[in-house]
Amino acid sequence: METENIFLFVPNLIGYARVVLALISFFLMPCCPWPAVFCYLLSALLDAFDGHAARALNQSTKFGAMLDMLTDRCATMCLLVNLSLLYPSYAFLFQLSMCLDIASHWLHLHSSTVKGSASHKTIDLSGNAILRLYYTSKPVLFVMCAGNELFFCLLYLLYHIEEPAGWLYWLQGLCGIICLLKSGISVLHLITASKNMAAIDAAEREKALKMKNGQNVGVSLQVDG
Amino acid sequence: METENIFLFVPNLIGYARVVLALISFFLMPCCPWPAVFCYLLSALLDAFDGHAARALNQSTKFGAMLDMLTDRCATMCLLVNLSLLYPSYAFLFQLSMCLDIASHWLHLHSSTVKGSASHKTIDLSGNAILRLYYTSKVCVSYDKRVRVNFKGTVSERLCVCVCVLQPVLFVMCAGNELFFCLLYLLYHIEEPAGWLYWLQGLCGIICLLKSGISVLHLITASKNMAAIDAAEREKALKMK
Repeated sequence: METENIFLFVPNLIGYARVVLALISFFLMPCCPWPAVFCYLLSALLDAFDGHAARALNQSTKFGAMLDMLTDRCATMCLLVNLSLLYPSYAFLFQLSMCLDIASHWLHLHSSTVKGSASHKTIDLSGNAILRLYYTSKPVLFVMCAGNELFFCLLYLLYHIEEPAGWLYWLQGLCGIICLLKSGISVLHLITASKNMAAIDAAEREKALKMKNGQNVGVSLQVDG
Repeated sequence: METENIFLFVPNLIGYARVVLALISFFLMPCCPWPAVFCYLLSALLDAFDGHAARALNQSTKFGAMLDMLTDRCATMCLLVNLSLLYPSYAFLFQLSMCLDIASHWLHLHSSTVKGSASHKTIDLSGNAILRLYYTSKVCVSYDKRVRVNFKGTVSERLCVCVCVLQPVLFVMCAGNELFFCLLYLLYHIEEPAGWLYWLQGLCGIICLLKSGISVLHLITASKNMAAIDAAEREKALKMK
């Protein structure tokens, strides 16, 4: 039986290309804005294709999903580092944004993964109405994510353009509002994920207590959104 | 029955204090070095206590472990941002370091967590004296004490396990790595630093390089584990078809 090599799956090859392009972009950002922007946008564009390729070729993998997620998180992180270099007075705000982005995604993914194993029933994490809208409405999700990314890109671009057109400032303002909204949603994610983790902990502690007291255990997880 | 509130457990309260102190530290770093360093070191010091408190009061939680991990990762990240501001010509290297730190820890934790659920067989290696040290290590990244380790792995996997098992070595690596970044910040702000500080910085720099190498190994091992889980799932799905 011929063993397939997950690392050579097409979506993962696209993923590696995304990583390389992003690295080149951040290497060039301090010196050469336009090549840097080109590489960054190309890397972001490929993000649209790896998902399609995975579904079309039946090559969806957990590894590929993590590669995708990590590339997104690290790319956003490095972009914000470069923005801190351009706008040092706002460095603390960019750091807050980076921490919120990493922490909310990480805790959310971790709590989902742990919960997935704790209960064989699929638990719906979107008990919160706002998060439900965010998850289930593809246009909303897309606008939020794209607008957020675009805000940071515009911050970088507008620094390097001599006399930016007026509409660019309007766009930046609009994307700034989206960025704020997305940050609010990230805070919600963080709170929800924390509650889920604590619920898992509470259930485990209850189970451990009952086992100590020699009872038969049937664990039911109660989730508050 | 009185429900205990996990969020008010003592180790988690210590965790919140760590977060607040770290935030204050990074807010002050551009303007006021010594208060910033004080807050940062205090935050790092409290890291030693939350683990002890958790064990002493039987208040170890998954939430607390994640709070601890996330605080460490974000604190290192923000410190490197501030170092990029002080040494802009090295900004790309600091970014590489941040990405490696986040990615290796995240993928390692994720692959361990998924693996823990994927296999119902628990390969209990705690009978082995050396690995018992690993399980009780306060410094190792694995927060799931039931770590599945395959000793029949590749050289890189076995190297990873060996490094994790040698507790003092691991502590020196982590501390030396942190100290390197702290020294980079401190030496920028000291007028005429003593000679020995440069020696210390050089030594810690070597440790930082070594730790980066180990992070790369962790990343590779975790990737292989994820791919192995994927392969097993695809085989299972194929057989069911």
